[in-house]
Amino acid sequence: MKVLVVTSGVPFIRGGAEILADNLCQALSAAGHAAELISIPFKHYPPSRIPDHILACRLLDLTETCGVRIDRVIGLKFPAYLIPHPNKVIWLLHQHRTAYELWNQPIAEDLIHYPDGPAVREAIRQADRELIPEAKAVYAQCQNVANRLRRYSGIDAEPLYSPPAHVGLFYNRTAGDYFFFPSRVTGVKRQSLVIEALARCRERTLVRFAGEPDSPRELAACVEAIRQLKVEDRVEWLGLVSEERKRDLYANCLGVIFPPVDEDYGYVTLEAMLSSKPVITCSDSGGPLEFVVDGQTGLVADSTPESLARAMDALWAGRRGAAAMGEAGWARYADLKISWEHVVETLL
Amino acid sequence: MPNKHGLRILIATVRVPFVNGGAEIHAEGLCRALREAGHQAEIIAIPFKWYPPERILDQMLACRLLDLSETVGVAVDRLIGLKFPAYLIPHPRKVIWLLHQHRQAYDLWKHPLDDLDRYPNGDEVRAAIVRADTELIPQALHVFANSRNVAGRLEKFCGVQAAPLYHPPRDATLFHTLPAEDFLYFPSRINPLKRQDLVIEALAQTRLPVKVYFSGSADEATFERKCAALAQKHGCANRVQWLGTVSEEKKRDLYARTLGVLFPPIDEDYGYITLEAMLAQKPVITCADSGGPLEFVIERQTGIVAEPTPEALAAAMDNLWADRERARQWGEAGRQRYDSLHIDWGHVVEKLLA
Repeated sequence: MKVLVVTSGVPFIRGGAEILADNLCQALSAAGHAAELISIPFKHYPPSRIPDHILACRLLDLTETCGVRIDRVIGLKFPAYLIPHPNKVIWLLHQHRTAYELWNQPIAEDLIHYPDGPAVREAIRQADRELIPEAKAVYAQCQNVANRLRRYSGIDAEPLYSPPAHVGLFYNRTAGDYFFFPSRVTGVKRQSLVIEALARCRERTLVRFAGEPDSPRELAACVEAIRQLKVEDRVEWLGLVSEERKRDLYANCLGVIFPPVDEDYGYVTLEAMLSSKPVITCSDSGGPLEFVVDGQTGLVADSTPESLARAMDALWAGRRGAAAMGEAGWARYADLKISWEHVVETLL
Repeated sequence: MPNKHGLRILIATVRVPFVNGGAEIHAEGLCRALREAGHQAEIIAIPFKWYPPERILDQMLACRLLDLSETVGVAVDRLIGLKFPAYLIPHPRKVIWLLHQHRQAYDLWKHPLDDLDRYPNGDEVRAAIVRADTELIPQALHVFANSRNVAGRLEKFCGVQAAPLYHPPRDATLFHTLPAEDFLYFPSRINPLKRQDLVIEALAQTRLPVKVYFSGSADEATFERKCAALAQKHGCANRVQWLGTVSEEKKRDLYARTLGVLFPPIDEDYGYITLEAMLAQKPVITCADSGGPLEFVIERQTGIVAEPTPEALAAAMDNLWADRERARQWGEAGRQRYDSLHIDWGHVVEKLLA
């Protein structure tokens, strides 16, 4: 089959969604299909740009190419999943979140501050409500995203999990004296919450952060917090690391910290499980909660510095328990039977 | 101001899904050259479908609606537009390096190989394209064209001036030469605009037992079948080889071993094949209406420029076949000409960011 994977992207930003799109194309090719990725650039501000981009996507024509039919379009991200096609399947990575659950979340909100914000929010919601059902089938990357789609748009979607990249290459080593937090550095991942928690830990915990900041501003805010809370010597800021180095950091850590705001899915959780490491997440972190079993494969804290600090202290002080939770996490991953073959079969 | 990571540069182009040609190689080569020069560069490729004609207007509008001025609050320092309609995407610091306009609205209008004029709304769509190009291309800070030929068309049809800016083919340093064997080589997508059919017709009229190797993927399977049937009909199928898609390495080997390269397209914009032949020290046979190649091939010094008729092309093929030593000398002269033109990415990057 000729299959186009369509997504939206912010130039110069590469995160989980971009990796997933590449991996999906590879999996489709491996299954013998001709697959290509179409990524439409997206800029979400000022709000009036959003309807422009919705319209731009609606104006594109992916029905055929040089007279040859394109058999299937797989839509991933807003607004690219709105591109029309008679044989479209949506595998929803997420909707435009600030028009939904992040509308009035101080950490991520933006739309709400503009005079035309409410009108644009309504336009986004209407487009999703009316146009997502054009697809022949709708899947979501996880239960969390499916639940939101049900709640806000009244549309049912089946969760369809995907494995992180290089699944077979993760491994486990004896735990060292650090927590690992790999993620893009940005408000919704809450690096700043972890920095505040560090300052409240009773143990001399240490956190290694890896990942690029979305913008210099995001990084500057973290650096300023570290300075004010005087935790410079308990933070290591690694920036962008290679995949190999990342797996090494997973393998040698005591545990993984991943406390985002209502994450859609979150490869970090799965990668931690593949590395047999316990995960500390928060009760409002979304996706990770589908995988972390509190007290068995990690700890689910409240999203306060105090509660997070307690969870970090608990793992730091109870290393043997931490190792056992990590093993249980690995066993849980194996039980879930997450594979690209299954994803491809379902989407086609 | 550029930070330590250089400028943030986006390359805007279009792409036809599942078709890979020179345009993709061009965008990727530019992207790599910008990165090597210390900049951050990415390609934005908008899907494009040009039929029925009203879809062209939709996609022009789609491009005008995109906003590449900044990302997450950080400015995009430069937008480099390559192909229609992606070069219409607005940007305060845009440079256009025109690969080609939508040729069906210009030099290919009413051409037998094109059909825009046969649609009831063809005239209107053509007018809209010309108006958009004429009004919006000059919004760029600078306008370059990938060849003199493309610059000439822009001037002729839109009255907009552009400076020609040449760039090297992919892996230019890997081309080499070997003693000529008994075949002429025609590497190109199998497409009516490249005129593989004309070469078959010519082959039927050669006096000498000239052989031609074709390589390249078929954009349209029907045209490839037509060419193969033509060779059967003229009884020259035994002097033709269809190699299909070949690896880059195999392609360079074929260039190295050929007696000469055939490249007779219709008004080609630029044409890597001419340059690749010159890099491999081989003479080029092209046609008087082939466009881009004529900026490089010097008649009877680095190749032959024939009239686009089977007879004239057959005479040129016989000519190379008959005097192999002269063919070798023309090939060498072609390489010298390439080296004298200073076609390199460093120069391109400097011009585009000036």
